[in-house]
Formats: sequence, C-alpha cells, structure tokens
Amino acid sequence: MSVAAWSLNTSDRCTNPAILNRWHPVAPSHAVEAGESHFTVLLGVEIVCRLNPAGEPEVRLRRDPATCVPAIVDYGCVWVCLGEPTEALFTIEEAGEPDRRIVHAGTIGVNVSAPRAVENFLDMAHFPYVHTGILGVEPYTDVNDYQVHVDPVTNDVWATDCEFWQPMAATTSTTGQMTDYLYRVPHPFNVILYKTTPVDAQRMDVIALFCQPVGPDRIIAHPFLCLLDDENTTASIRAFQLRIFAQDKPILENQLPKCLPLDPRAERPIRADRAAITYRRWLSDLGVTYGVIPA
Amino acid sequence: MWYPIADHHDVIPRHTARTSLHGQELVVWRADDGNVNVWENRCLHRGVRLSIGVNDGAELVCRYHAWRYANRSGGCTYIPAHPRDAPARTAACSTFPVAERHGLVWSTLAGGDDASEPPSIEQLGNDAFVLRARPVRAPADVVLGLLEELNWAPFGSDDTADAAVERTRVPGGVAAVASERGVEERIIFFVQPVDSSRCVVRPVRSGEPTDSVAALRHHATILADVVERAERIQSARPAAPTAETPVAIPTAPPRPERLRVRIERKWATAEKIAAFDLVEADGGNLPTFLPGDHIDLHLPNGLIRQYSITNGPGETAHYRIGVKRDPASTGGSAYLHDRAKTGDVLKISAPRNRFALRRNVPSTILIAGGIGITPILAMAQALDRAGLDVAVHSFVSSEGEVAFRDVLDRLGPVVHRYVGLDPDGTAGVLKHVLTSPDPGVQVAACGPPPMLDAIQTIADAAGWDEDAVSFEYFQTGDIDRSSSFTVELARSARTVKVTAGTSVLDAIRAEGLDLDSSCERGACGTCALPVLDGEVDHHDVFLSPAERAAGATILTCVSRAASNRLVLDL
Amino acid sequence: MITLHDYVLSANCYKVRLLLAQLNLKFESVDVDFHPGREHKGAAFRRLNPMGHIPVLVDEDFVIRDAHAILIYLARRYDDGATWYPIDDAHRLGSTAQWMNFADATASTLSAARLVVNLGYDLDLDAARTGGHETLRVLDEHLWFGEREGRAWLVDGDRPTLGDLTVFPDVVLAEEGEIDLLDYPAVRRWLDRVKQWPRFVVMPGVFPFGTG
Repeated sequence: MSVAAWSLNTSDRCTNPAILNRWHPVAPSHAVEAGESHFTVLLGVEIVCRLNPAGEPEVRLRRDPATCVPAIVDYGCVWVCLGEPTEALFTIEEAGEPDRRIVHAGTIGVNVSAPRAVENFLDMAHFPYVHTGILGVEPYTDVNDYQVHVDPVTNDVWATDCEFWQPMAATTSTTGQMTDYLYRVPHPFNVILYKTTPVDAQRMDVIALFCQPVGPDRIIAHPFLCLLDDENTTASIRAFQLRIFAQDKPILENQLPKCLPLDPRAERPIRADRAAITYRRWLSDLGVTYGVIPA
Repeated sequence: MWYPIADHHDVIPRHTARTSLHGQELVVWRADDGNVNVWENRCLHRGVRLSIGVNDGAELVCRYHAWRYANRSGGCTYIPAHPRDAPARTAACSTFPVAERHGLVWSTLAGGDDASEPPSIEQLGNDAFVLRARPVRAPADVVLGLLEELNWAPFGSDDTADAAVERTRVPGGVAAVASERGVEERIIFFVQPVDSSRCVVRPVRSGEPTDSVAALRHHATILADVVERAERIQSARPAAPTAETPVAIPTAPPRPERLRVRIERKWATAEKIAAFDLVEADGGNLPTFLPGDHIDLHLPNGLIRQYSITNGPGETAHYRIGVKRDPASTGGSAYLHDRAKTGDVLKISAPRNRFALRRNVPSTILIAGGIGITPILAMAQALDRAGLDVAVHSFVSSEGEVAFRDVLDRLGPVVHRYVGLDPDGTAGVLKHVLTSPDPGVQVAACGPPPMLDAIQTIADAAGWDEDAVSFEYFQTGDIDRSSSFTVELARSARTVKVTAGTSVLDAIRAEGLDLDSSCERGACGTCALPVLDGEVDHHDVFLSPAERAAGATILTCVSRAASNRLVLDL
Repeated sequence: MITLHDYVLSANCYKVRLLLAQLNLKFESVDVDFHPGREHKGAAFRRLNPMGHIPVLVDEDFVIRDAHAILIYLARRYDDGATWYPIDDAHRLGSTAQWMNFADATASTLSAARLVVNLGYDLDLDAARTGGHETLRVLDEHLWFGEREGRAWLVDGDRPTLGDLTVFPDVVLAEEGEIDLLDYPAVRRWLDRVKQWPRFVVMPGVFPFGTG
C-alpha cells in the first residue's frame, strides 16, 4: 500500500479528542506479517507499520521516525491511536470461538467520510436497489420497525429485531429467506453486524466494517468477517464480501456532502432510519466533529 | 441571472444529464412529455446525486433507496421502505426555473421574482444552430476575455487571413460576427460558469449551414484553441482551494391549503361524465399528487366536492378529473356539467390521499365500479410504470359510460371490462376474480358502497387477508388519528382544538403560529415542543424510550394526547 | 465447458463476462483471490498463466490469457455473424483494433487511478488523472460527432464491436479513480447506450440502465 498518491492536506489533521484518542485500523495483519513495512495515512498523518522481530506491531510517524505510536493487533488488523488511548478496543467475542472462519476481506479506498460508510452499513432499505438479487429484491422493499437503544454500560448503539427479505444473504445460502439482523456500533467509525446463518439456527455470522479515516472525507475500508462456514474458499468469501462492498462504493462516493451532517434537518430521515437517527445523535453526544458536519 | 446549462442534445429521453452552475450541482432531465427539469443534484434522503438515478420518463428515481420524484414539481411520490405511508407532502427536491431557447436549456439559481425569463437573443432568430460546447478548466472571466479577442474565418470562406470580426459583450457571453469576402457568420458564445475555476463555452450560430457536420468540426477546432489558451493561463495561476459547497438546511415551504386552478379543457369523456383538465391559474407548478389522491373542489356556489386525480405518474402539467352527473345533484356535479367552462378559475385543496397505494407485492387487482374508475386509473398507471403486474376489472352499466377510454386502451389487455351486469352477475365475476387468496397479490377497489360491501363479503369468504384488500374511504396508515383533544399553548396563551384526522402541528399552524417541520413523519425532531402538562401518546421514532417515558417532549407532527388536554411550551 | 478465472472487481475480467453474456455462452467462474490474497502471483495460478495475471479462460482443453486475446478468440469461435470482431470489413476491423488499443491505453490512466484509490497501488495518481482526462476528451469528441453523423458506436456501422466493449469498463468505472465524468456528456450518453444492449450485465460499481 502506498501513500505517495494520497494528496495530504494539513486540514485533514484531526484535533478532535473524541476521534484522536480512539484506536483506528491502519493495516490488515496479513499486510505486515510478511515482514514488509506498510505505509499508510491515518487522520491526515503518514505512518509506517511493521512487525518487530518479536512479532509486535511497531508504528512510527513517517515524518518523525523517532516517534512510535501505540499499536495493537486484533480482529485481523493493526490498530493505532494517535492521541492518548483512553479505553481498550471494543471486543468481538465471536472472534475467539475456535470454529469460526476469520477473514479480512481486503482493503478498499473509498472517497467518503467514515460516518457515511457506517450509516450505509446500518441501512437495510437499499438492499433491493444496490445489492439487487443478493441482499434484497423488489418488490420486497419494506423495512419493518425495529428497536434501537444505546447500551447504558458500554455506550454502544444497538439496533435489534431487524429483519429483511433476502434472496441470497450469504455464500452458504441457496434460497431466499427472511434474514434477522443485529447491528452494533461500538466506535464512531466501526460497525458490526450479526446475522442469521443458514448453517446454525442458534448462532450468528459476524460481519464488521472497520473504517480507517485517512482524512475527514476519505477512508480505507477494512471488511472483517467471523463466519460459521466450512465450505467456501477464502477466495469466494472475499469475493462475495468485496462484491457487496463494491456495490455500495459508487453510492457512497456520490453522497453530498461527503461528511455526515448531524443536524437532523439537513437530510430527511424516515422510520427505517431509526438506527441512523440514533447514530447521528450519539456522534453529537460523543462530541465527534471529525468526518461530520456538527449540528 | 440566466445561463445556458445544457443544450438539446444533452437532454435526450430517459437520460439524466449532470452539470453545475456557480458550484451548485444540477441534474437535468427531460420527461416523456417533453418537460425539462433542472433540480439540485441531491436526493433529499441521504444526499445521493440524482444524476446516477433513473429517468423513467415520468419520475426521477434515486439509485440508493428508489425514492421517486415527480416531473415538474420534484415532489416525492413513493418511498419503498414504507410502502403503506404516503411520503410527506413537503418532501420535494429543490427545483430551479428552466426555459428552452435557441436550442439551449437555460436556468438560474435566483428564485421567485428575480427569475423572470432568460434573454431572447434577436441575432439568433428562430433557426439557431447549436455548436459543440466545450468544458474549460478555467474560470468564466478568463474565457470571456479570450473570446472578446477571438478571430476566426467564417465557415465557408476559403481564406482565414482577412476575416473581420466584430465582438460585443452580451449577458452571459460574447456575440460576434465574422465576415470575409461576403461570407458572414454570426455566433454567440455563451459561457456557463460551472464553479470558480471552471466553465463551459456554449456557442450558437445563427442558421444551420448545408454541410452542418463540417461546420461543427470547423468551429470545434477554433474553440479547441481557445480552450487550450484559457487552460494555459489558468494553470499558470496559483491554485485556489476548492471548498465543498456547504449544505443548505432545507426548510419545507408552507403547503398551500387552497390553490387556484383554471379549467384548461372540458370535454365529455363518456355519457354523463365530464372530464376537466385543471392547470395552476398563474402558470406555476401544481402540487405533487400520489396515485389515488383526490382534491376538494370549491365551487363558486359554495359547495365542496371531492374528485380523484386520474393522471399517471409524471403527468404533472394538469390534474385530470372526471365528474359524473348526479341526478340528485344539489348544484355540485350539475354546476360542473352545465355552467363551468374552459377558462374558469376554481379553488381547490391540495391533493390528499385516502388510498395509500403500496407496491410491495408483485401483483395488484384493481376493481372499479362506474365512476370509481378515476382513482383506479391513476393507480393502474403507477403500478404499470413501476413494472408490477396489474389487472383492472372495470364494471359499467353501459358501453357509453366507459370514461377515459384512451387511458384504458393504453393500459391494454390488463383491463377487463364488464358491461351491464346486475348485482348477481357482478358478484359472480368478483367471486371468480377473487377465487384464490395469494400473499403476492393485493386488491384495491373503488365504487358504489353496495359493490364495496360485496367485495368485502366475497374476499372474506374466499379467505383473503384483511390487510390485502383496501377500499376507497378505507382508513390506512399506521397512526391512529381518531382522537380529539385540546392543546394549550402556554406562552402564546392560546387554546387549540385538535380534531380527529388533524395533527397537533396542523392545528397549531391553523392558528397562524409558526412551527418548523421537516420530515413530518416523526423522524427528524424538527417540530418537537416541550410538554408542560398532560400525557403524550407518542408515535414518533425520534425520541429514545427514556425520553418517551419522561413525557417532556412531543413531536407535534405525529404524536397525540393520551389525556384530554396537553399544555405545550410555545 | 468454459471456465473463467475471474476476479469480481477486475475491469479486464468484466470485459470477458460482458462478451460471454452477449454471445449467450454459459460459463463457470472461478474466483481468484487477486486482492488481498495475490493468488494470481502464486505458484498454482502461474501453472495456468506464467505471466501471473487475470483473466484466464479455459475452453475444453484450450487455455488462453489476456482479456483482448480472449475476446478475439470468443468472437471468432462463437460469434457467427462476426459482428463483434468484423473480420470481413477491413475498415471496421482496423477501427475495432484501434479502439481496443485505446482501451489498452486507458489501463495506464483511468484504470491506474482506480487502482491507486481502491487498492492503494503505488502509481503516479496525478499523471494517471491528467492522462485520464485527455483520454476522455478524445473519446467525448469522437462520440459527440458520432451522434451528429448518425454513428452510435465507436466504429462505423449499426452494430457495436469489441471496440465499445473493451473501452466501456475502464470508462464507466473512471469515477472510482476520482476522474469526474461531469465534463463528458457524450461519453455519459454512450455509457447509457452500451447499458441498453440486450443481455448487458453489470459488475459491482456499474449500475444498469433504468431500474435494471
């Protein structure tokens, strides 16, 4: 991965503590495991990642190589904090279950802010139009009412009791079904989806979108999967997930403005947008000003 | 100030053109009826560019969630995520004035009275020939400066050396005449300012030459040189930062309660049925209608009558209604049949809906009795346009009573007509039509009460889901607005009666008080008011469960009182 | 039996899928983990294509690589009317080859910009974008005059050729490389025309004409 091409703008630098003091993904682990240095940009700052001989991540500022910044490896990614890490990275318990397939589907750069990408991930109503024939199909376009709450302990946003009619929800699907979803937003720029799997009625597949904010209006997306799937090859799991994400990409890149407006009057929400409505209010409450247009 | 923003080649059927004026991105599209629309290039919902959407000939459909926007008004007509909810009547794209002149499409960002009209360029006359437009990565002033010094040989002359060119600045461009040995060529170079660093030169020639393609190439070469020079000048300048246009917070314009319409055309569409085309009296756009909508017609004799709008999607130049002469008329239908004439001005209400047409099932059976065909026509055309299966069963007492035959013919074989059946015969047909309930089929009916009763009985007996069958006069929607209560506005010291069917917001506005709103679906929080006393019956999705429980806030667009009286801080 | 060693986001693989659909040929697609797995550079894949790139097409025992070579093979083998690769008409064949070369040229401009933005390739983005705009200007002018002269496609004649089919993918995906098509209205209209081919297929990032 190169950063030579990214035009760096000093105004891309983040001074917003609500974002600066959090962990952000900067590289898939597979990109640094090969022993190579990985250049990238986080919050307008160029950084270099590598694993040291002990296998620990080592991340330095490109313009100031003497400075090491806090870094950890989890969920298929190297995570970095450019400020003071005030809390641990959120947990995805399923990632520790031995029978799960853990797959980083590969990064894609997207010319959009992280909150726009998160909001799209929380959205079901676009399935019949953007993921036609896979995650939805006309005329089954209804978004039934679902529940949204902010967990009082963890302060994660949850959308529960979500359901949508899907012709082919996963690589393991052969027919259409009403698919159940849970959405969880544990971090302003990261979102996790738990969804029905045809393989096991008691458990759910976990699909996450980790957004690396390159600048306020540009991300590198890290799709992360934690699946109950013994059958498909990694190549076909990745192809499925990248297909879905690449279908969203031109929508995201055609959203104006690129940063997410937090004033509820700036766009026109409907009942189906309950998760997004709560997410926008939650971002305001957290004091997020990066990647958004504050209300 | 008006500028040309496209030419007639750009607005071909079923295409969405994209351009920009002073940094305002625009989507430009022509509907099948020929009307050109110039709108802000942003879906209301999530800001997605409408230029990546679909021009279906009648409506522009957003790619993201398929919200549909009507030709002319830009009003939202359908939100597929909530098939049973009519979109808020205030949901409309920002539209800009548009005019077609000299082969160009003109628009202006100024609204209201400043808009007036685009310039009419006399030199161009009626046979303007549009030359190839060229986008330039340089600002308009640089390009205008070069055009004011431009020399060229008129097309058809064989020598470039001695051409004499006269140039004058005209609004938005440079008018020039080149002459050389008796060959004269008149061109106006309009310059569309795209943003602070880009423009488009749109040259128009007076008259089409015989070898038109050679002339186009001749001028493309001349203009290419201008473009190259302008871009060289611009690239030598320090780059100006391009800022993203700030997003304006849209405020819903107040929706007129009444509007004035003129009878543009009146004709007999069938025996005892008069048809009327109603246009906005001052030539403006009519409010957006939804399939199944009706208007209240306020007659000069003081009577108010309701008529369904029969139009298909995008047919927004007029409302077309059908009025059956009622033999017992006390002056309603009799007035319209006997006295109303072309050119008369009438007052109507904005369109309203009793019949929310959902499109979340593959197939729809529409049943019409007599003049009940009018809303059914609008629905059938909307479903047909959306690519869904539809069958229309139309019952009339005689062949002469078939109204709007042209629309029925256009719908083709999906229309089944039954003439002169008695109630038993009608019931027989209905039993056949409704034989097998199917979760993929919905039924909607409009007709005289005995027929609707028969449909209800037959559908129940056949085992149709209650939810699958809807009738005119059937209350739909998720919000029960049947309660009535009193709202005291503490600071304004006023008491407002909220009656069944109206919202608190409507009632407050009817008192003449100002209250902002946006989505009018309980989702955005714009119309929220503090509650000082009384119990709220919440219907919104904006407030958190804790906020609901606290009862200190009400979203006035949807929520109601659970008590007899509410006291609000306004 | 036709097998395509395929990557869902590759414009070159898309060219092959477009023609297979046009010729109404059934095929099996084998996903190659191009990104991030770099499977095409692995030993197993190199046994199929020592050059280590996609697409590769296998038709019974015949193995062929390189998108344009595959297209010419499929057109000669399965397009009975020889419309896609018009070998019976010297001018049209020459022009078809010319536009196929043009499509190769967009690899270093439109496609390069997309690879930088999407996948983080280490290429000169400014040069790719400048070159991309030059390419699109040429294309827009050719198509604009085509409309005036009654020519809907890149090559003279009533039918599209491999010229249109090969130029289309990089152009329709140009905005993913942040090369805005705002200034190329004739190109946008031609994209609409291509999308109206019977049996046109999309790839992720490409919307169908109309509601699909």
